[in-house]
Amino acid sequence: MRPLHLSSLLLGALSVGVHAVFQDEVGHLDYHYELLGVPQRETTFFHRPRREDKASLLYTLSDVGVLGAVHPSSGAVVWRQFLTGNITNGGGFVRASEGENWICSAFGHSVHAWDAVTGRNRFWMDFEGEVKDLEVMEMTEKERKDVLVLFDDNGATVLRRLNGNDGSVVWEFRDASKDVPLQVSTNVEKVFAVSLHGSLGSYNLKVTALDTLTGKRVDEIILGTKGEVNSEKDVTFVGANSAAPVVAWTDDSHSKLRINVLGTKNLQTFPLEADTVSVEVHAPHLIQSQPHFLVHSKTRSGHRADVYHVQLKSDAITKAYELPLLPGQGAFSTASVGANVFFTRITADELILTDSMSHGILGRWPLKTGNYPAHPLHAVSEVIKKSATEYAVRAAMVTDADDWLLVRNGELGWTRPEGMTGAVAATFAEIPKSEDLAKSLEEEAHSNPLTAYIHRVNRHFDDLQYLPDYLAAIPQRLISSILGTDITNKGDKLLRDSFGFHKLVILATRRGRVYALDAGNEGKMLWNTKAVDLAEGETWDVKAIFVDEPSNQLVIQARDGHALVDIDTGKTIEVRGSLSPVQGVAIVDGPDQSVDTLPRRWPLAIYDGGKVDSLPADLAPEGTVVVRGAEGEIKGLKYVIESDEANAYASWIFSPPKGQKIVHVAARPSHDAIASIGRVLGDRTVKYKYLNPNTLVAAAVDEAASTLTVYLLDTVSGEILSSATHEGVDTAKNIECVMAENWFLCTFFGQYTLQTDPGQSIKGYQLVVSDLYESELPNDRGPLGNAANFSSVDPIDSPTAGGPVLPSVITQSFVLGAPISALAVTQTRQGISTRQVLGYLTESHGIVGLPRQLLEPRRPVGRDPSQGEMEEGLMRYHPTVEIDPKMVVTHEREVIGVKKIITSPVVVESTSLVFAFGVDVFGTRVAPSFLFDILGKGFNKLSLIATVVGLGLGVLALAPLVRKKQINTLWQS
Amino acid sequence: MSQLKPSAAPRWVADLHSPPTTKTKNPSIPDPPGYPSQAVTSSSKKREPAKATPQRTPPTPEEMDTLKLKKAWEVALGPLKNLPMTGIMMYMSGNSLQIFSIMMVFMAFKTPIMGLLATNQAFERFETETNRGKILQAKLAYILMQCVALALGVWKVNGMGLLPTTRSDWLAWEAQREPLEFAVPAL
Repeated sequence: MRPLHLSSLLLGALSVGVHAVFQDEVGHLDYHYELLGVPQRETTFFHRPRREDKASLLYTLSDVGVLGAVHPSSGAVVWRQFLTGNITNGGGFVRASEGENWICSAFGHSVHAWDAVTGRNRFWMDFEGEVKDLEVMEMTEKERKDVLVLFDDNGATVLRRLNGNDGSVVWEFRDASKDVPLQVSTNVEKVFAVSLHGSLGSYNLKVTALDTLTGKRVDEIILGTKGEVNSEKDVTFVGANSAAPVVAWTDDSHSKLRINVLGTKNLQTFPLEADTVSVEVHAPHLIQSQPHFLVHSKTRSGHRADVYHVQLKSDAITKAYELPLLPGQGAFSTASVGANVFFTRITADELILTDSMSHGILGRWPLKTGNYPAHPLHAVSEVIKKSATEYAVRAAMVTDADDWLLVRNGELGWTRPEGMTGAVAATFAEIPKSEDLAKSLEEEAHSNPLTAYIHRVNRHFDDLQYLPDYLAAIPQRLISSILGTDITNKGDKLLRDSFGFHKLVILATRRGRVYALDAGNEGKMLWNTKAVDLAEGETWDVKAIFVDEPSNQLVIQARDGHALVDIDTGKTIEVRGSLSPVQGVAIVDGPDQSVDTLPRRWPLAIYDGGKVDSLPADLAPEGTVVVRGAEGEIKGLKYVIESDEANAYASWIFSPPKGQKIVHVAARPSHDAIASIGRVLGDRTVKYKYLNPNTLVAAAVDEAASTLTVYLLDTVSGEILSSATHEGVDTAKNIECVMAENWFLCTFFGQYTLQTDPGQSIKGYQLVVSDLYESELPNDRGPLGNAANFSSVDPIDSPTAGGPVLPSVITQSFVLGAPISALAVTQTRQGISTRQVLGYLTESHGIVGLPRQLLEPRRPVGRDPSQGEMEEGLMRYHPTVEIDPKMVVTHEREVIGVKKIITSPVVVESTSLVFAFGVDVFGTRVAPSFLFDILGKGFNKLSLIATVVGLGLGVLALAPLVRKKQINTLWQS
Repeated sequence: MSQLKPSAAPRWVADLHSPPTTKTKNPSIPDPPGYPSQAVTSSSKKREPAKATPQRTPPTPEEMDTLKLKKAWEVALGPLKNLPMTGIMMYMSGNSLQIFSIMMVFMAFKTPIMGLLATNQAFERFETETNRGKILQAKLAYILMQCVALALGVWKVNGMGLLPTTRSDWLAWEAQREPLEFAVPAL
């Protein structure tokens, strides 16, 4: 077995050293959707980052908390900042000021300013209280623009003016009365803080006018709302930085709109279209813009708008004109050029530009978005006046398909699938076999051999019709194979390839959409669909996606029900709610069903508290179903057949000791192929792996004692097979475990006291790896000896046996150079390739693939490895594991907000598919033991062919010479 | 033959009558009887003893037997003489898998096995009706020596780790222990 040793040594030594992604493989192996999230209406705008430059960028703070700039001409991301590091659900504020090279944002407790061109941070200030609104002061006494931030500090309204250069507080206004701070607005002379005054349910509006220089209260006006404003959401609009900011709200039935110019007591009421469902107010943000605004009223069947002017002298509001009711959804946006204000109206098929002064249409362009089926929800636009009568408009709109589109004079500029952010679940699925073939194969399987044979011959005869096409395609395939170009899949039909790289990735997002990507074709989106309709503010909490291969359906189990989606087309087949909330899904093997001869796997929903439905006796799964209980305990449920019904009973319950709380549970992946049941040591002895598929790792923390205890449980008997306690653990930080084959590892942040020197301690992100073996001794299969099978329950039940069979555990700790999360292990078809632990680098925004050899607990400590250990590929132990850039599978890409990484085996053994989702969507292929079974892109087929041809020619040329010489020798000797 | 008038006969006639001796490519294949080379060698062989015989009396059958036995023992112990050389070469070639050591190992196995298969041929020349018993001893010794040479090859192969003598060599045939119960995690 020496060759095996050498090769494993070689593989081991090499794969630790070199693991980089080659430059020519970028974009071929991997794909990356660099996303921002669905832009929010209030936080999206065009802005010119350089005063002297006319080019503008498109800025947005999305609903997942990513602030970024996009190039309006190409749709490429210029810069991105993930504000909180966590995926948020809407909120946040962004403002830019005309002519300034910075933009300002606020989220939660902090206010930040960014360089508009590069995205570099100018300042980041954290405050007490939550930010309620943000505004840029256009006019200050100094030669700079300042930032006004409204906070809600435990019920007190706090308004701070921050220095626009460094974020320091210029003045602070604090109103301790229990008002609900709403918005801040400013005109040239005053700053207005608008808050809800009164008791819950019947608020009045309180407008506090403040002095811009000192922040002293100048005036306070209470606007009676007659019970129409019940919460913050009822106030439709508080006018931005125009010369005359307004506040507007509607009554409950959306029949009247009440508008007040801030700083006055005058309240004006305008009637609204009948059946108006909601109202939006669009106004320019610039101080030099005319004080015009547009009221967009949406009805059930259409939308219309009214344009109002504010008379600056009298503070009266007059209706200027109206844009008529059009059917369908539409979006309005404002754009200002100097003092002029333009309104852009985007309907399902048109882009219409009007001036705020008069109702004359300045431009009208049909929307050429192809077959794009979605409707605009909201938009931002930019208008350029080319000549006296000619205008150019570009508008970036968010559609109800969660896409972000840019139309340039009606032409589609780009589309960004921003809806893929906020993904909550994903899975790999095989490309469905064509239905005809599947059907005829089934037919053949069921008929007798002779008819099956005839059927098959007939089928092959029919297939001959594709032969000419196939033959015609051969030269092209040959050429593309030689030149290394990709064979483009002609037609829309998706086919499996012989390497198995073409797989579907099904991605479900919290917005209720499902996407299908082709993992083999640079992540091309195949379809996307709205699987469920969600109410506003609701999220789709998907627990699992199950691919039901026989029926080509996806079963997407969410917390409140499940959806069935066709895997080919993405059509939603059925959406069904569940009676009680679902906490998880177990994929169980069911008995034979009427149609299929194979046992079918189906998803069993687990309800809150670890409850399951009673099942008909013939459907009951045989195995134990392991669930989490109501208090976080782990339970093993077993179905017991009682008459014709099967009821589940807990066969064991694992509750951690008092004070401990289970924070993470990991089980072996469903596909975890074992190539070898033992590890061959340097002296040719074997250490047998403890390979029990019914195990899981539970990490429990004790917050009071700052300890982490890792339990290894047998999931059939509930016995603890092993446990280890780590001290000095930061229980607030991410603690995660992952398990595969015969090992598991956990990562956490801890302070580790050195054993050799108790006075010294190491603080850092640790990775604790444990290997499980059947026995401590080599060549020993433990207490079970050569038994062909084992039971987890028997040793406990029978009094003569010595308790459960415990594994021998070898553990080693490493200190990681960076925190990692979203741990996953690569999966290959037969498990021959070594495994890699994949983790998301939360701080450097990448995915690292740590080779298993590096995280080997048997690495010799404090000495160089012996000859035998070197043959095994063991290196000397070093406590630190540095994140080598060569191990980062995302290389130079910045992948933000990864929540989960999934892996899948392919047909070739060397490769594993990787897919990461969260905010960004990233997929790649990794080969932990290198591509030993396929030729890489670097393989020069051309020179190989040239060599073969050259040799052939040489042989042809030399053959007569040699023949002549041979004859001569015969004759002349 | 007819060389009375060499001038009269053309050169080709002379060539035809006395063709050039062809070099036999493979010495192990004897030329057929009557072939010129056979005639020449046989005649030359005969010539040498013919020179010696006048001085010596022809050996008695007993003497011939002793002589043949001596020769047979020489043949039997022949492989042993090669052993130190082979051993040194094996030691020098090392235990790694390289083309040289692989060829060495191949030869180390091929030579004894071929020798064993050709045991009877090797002693055919020395065997007579009378010394059969004694030749048998030599044959046994020969076989033993070939086995020693074979053992050297086996030792080498073992040194190279090619013999399945350890537990790890049979690991692939050992089955994974199957669990009797199953659990489905839903966490």
